[in-house]
Amino acid sequence: MTTSDLHAPVRLLVIEDDQETADEIVSEFSEAGYEVRHAADGPQGLALAGGGNFDIIVMDRMLPGLDGLAILGALRQAQISTPVILMSALGDVDERVRGLKAGGDDYLTKPFVMAELGARIEALLRRPALSRETVLRVGALEMDLIERTVRRGAREIELLPREFKLLDYLMRRPGQVLTRAMLLENVWNYRFIAETNLVDVHVGKLRKKIDAPGEAPMIQSVRGSGFMLIANG
Amino acid sequence: MPPGAVLSLTRLPMFRLALLYSALFAFSTLVLFAFIYWQTAVVEIQRVDGQLLHDAQFLGNLKPSDLKDTIDNRVMPDFRRVAHAGLFGPDGARIAGNLPSLPDNLKFNGTVHRVNVPAAHLTIRAVGLPLPDGTRLVIGRNVESLDNLQTVVIHALELGLVPAVLLALGAGGLASQRTRKQLQKVHETAERIMKGDLRERLPTHGGGDDLDRLASSVNHMLDEIARLMDDMKSVGDNIAHDLRTPLTRVRARLERARESASTQEEWQVTVDRAIAGLDQALRLITALLRISEIEGGRRRAAFEMVALHQIASEIAELYEPIAEEKEVEFSLSLAEAPLIAGDRDLLSELISNLVDNALKFTPAGGRVRLSLETGPGGLILAVTDTGPGIPPELHEAVFQRFFRSDASRSIEGYGLGLSLVDAIAKLHGFTLEIGDNNPGCVFILRCCE
Repeated sequence: MTTSDLHAPVRLLVIEDDQETADEIVSEFSEAGYEVRHAADGPQGLALAGGGNFDIIVMDRMLPGLDGLAILGALRQAQISTPVILMSALGDVDERVRGLKAGGDDYLTKPFVMAELGARIEALLRRPALSRETVLRVGALEMDLIERTVRRGAREIELLPREFKLLDYLMRRPGQVLTRAMLLENVWNYRFIAETNLVDVHVGKLRKKIDAPGEAPMIQSVRGSGFMLIANG
Repeated sequence: MPPGAVLSLTRLPMFRLALLYSALFAFSTLVLFAFIYWQTAVVEIQRVDGQLLHDAQFLGNLKPSDLKDTIDNRVMPDFRRVAHAGLFGPDGARIAGNLPSLPDNLKFNGTVHRVNVPAAHLTIRAVGLPLPDGTRLVIGRNVESLDNLQTVVIHALELGLVPAVLLALGAGGLASQRTRKQLQKVHETAERIMKGDLRERLPTHGGGDDLDRLASSVNHMLDEIARLMDDMKSVGDNIAHDLRTPLTRVRARLERARESASTQEEWQVTVDRAIAGLDQALRLITALLRISEIEGGRRRAAFEMVALHQIASEIAELYEPIAEEKEVEFSLSLAEAPLIAGDRDLLSELISNLVDNALKFTPAGGRVRLSLETGPGGLILAVTDTGPGIPPELHEAVFQRFFRSDASRSIEGYGLGLSLVDAIAKLHGFTLEIGDNNPGCVFILRCCE
């Protein structure tokens, strides 16, 4: 788990009625240095969230008293734009679309591993601004978006279009854990569980080209969660 | 309706229909007879009146001296023509004929009308004619025959109508009784089926009537329900089995670790394996939920126009490195296809499952080909491989949940991929077939327009 690099602790609100799930989330993120508050039902959650003093909200889709979508609607109505991750046991893609339409920023289907939630929270907290830069740089790695060329230091790297797309996504999120599901969803627009180790194969191919023998590895595997591009060398 | 309830006859639609028809029949017969009677009476009166006028004119033109004689000797004996005649003096006294007195209310204006002759207790149609010498001539005719006609008509009505109505009611009653018995049987059978005996079938007698056809439709439906129940049961058994396997393993590992694990590292390995086992069980459940969600058909509401060749090319891009890794030659031939209505995510899941399967079962050095063409009947998407193939007798079975052929058991997979593919194809109204590629197999998806 990587902590945010903001100076003040991240303020996280968890709105979740299942006590065990809530406890898991609260202790996981408290340990990681977050300032975590918990609301066990809809009205309480809305009251807390409405204060606007949070950096991120993790909220169950089905809540007693007030539905998750209703809370989301009320928050967005009140111009509170705190990023919200919806969690739901419903794997239904329609549910996901509805959640995102109602103003949710991400949608996570239960059950999930904590690392997945952690990575998605980090991704939202460090959402890359829409940059107009035409050259991306991470350490010695440089990507020219116009010429569509990549070089590491002086070494030119030939990439296939699909590899270019993946590296583009990684280079906009350096130092950030990116899970397999996030890569599938965001790079390939693919929204279900792949049975094959698709992502590993793609990242493996890219890694062979980026990290030449003898060079410090830039594309790192994060055990149990996914991959990360770091500014090594 | 409680079982064994005695159905009263009038509550049966069939009998009510018979009643209604009888009433309609009776009414229309009455109207018909009334019309016949009325028409006959009018014609008869016109005929009688015509004769009376004709005769009155003839008699009126005779010389008064001949008149008396003619009435007595020629008119009176002719029973076919004039039944009653009389010649009366200006004072009303009878001069000749068989009328004892002048009829009441007789107008001497040369028209025929109905009058009473009280002295003879008669009602006749008569015409009165004043003669130049002051005497008055009356001739008339009995219309008793019309009364007879009325009697005949009423008789005919009684003879025809009453038995017909009784017959209709009787036949209706019998038919209703028969229907009632059949319905009662159907009802009892339905009761037994509802109590859980799904092998029961409604009685049919092969007559091909409506009730029979209904019964065989219901029986077909019951066959289908029984088949689905069997499927459900075997799916349930399979789920239980496939879930129990990883869970049992997890349990055994945890138990062993509690007994013997001593180092942190040993614990970690055990926990990691336990998590992997639970993940496997969870993936299975998720896949099942997805299939039932798709089969529920709600997603059809979210259909939009999608380009199948684009989806296919995205999936191909996703799987190219996998093919390279496995040293399988992966080729593409995608014709630009017209847009079709569909769910983008599900269609890409469908294609990716077919490609995934093909790559999984094709050994190194083999070939997998993804193609899309526009045929006469619509789009044809095909995934061809050079793997072990699927024997023809299993072509249907592979789409069933949890099916895994013996050959594929050694290869990782949950047996749900193809049922998912099938569910998605059905949702879109596409047909999916399996063919032989010798060696290997080909999955053909036909997207009809």
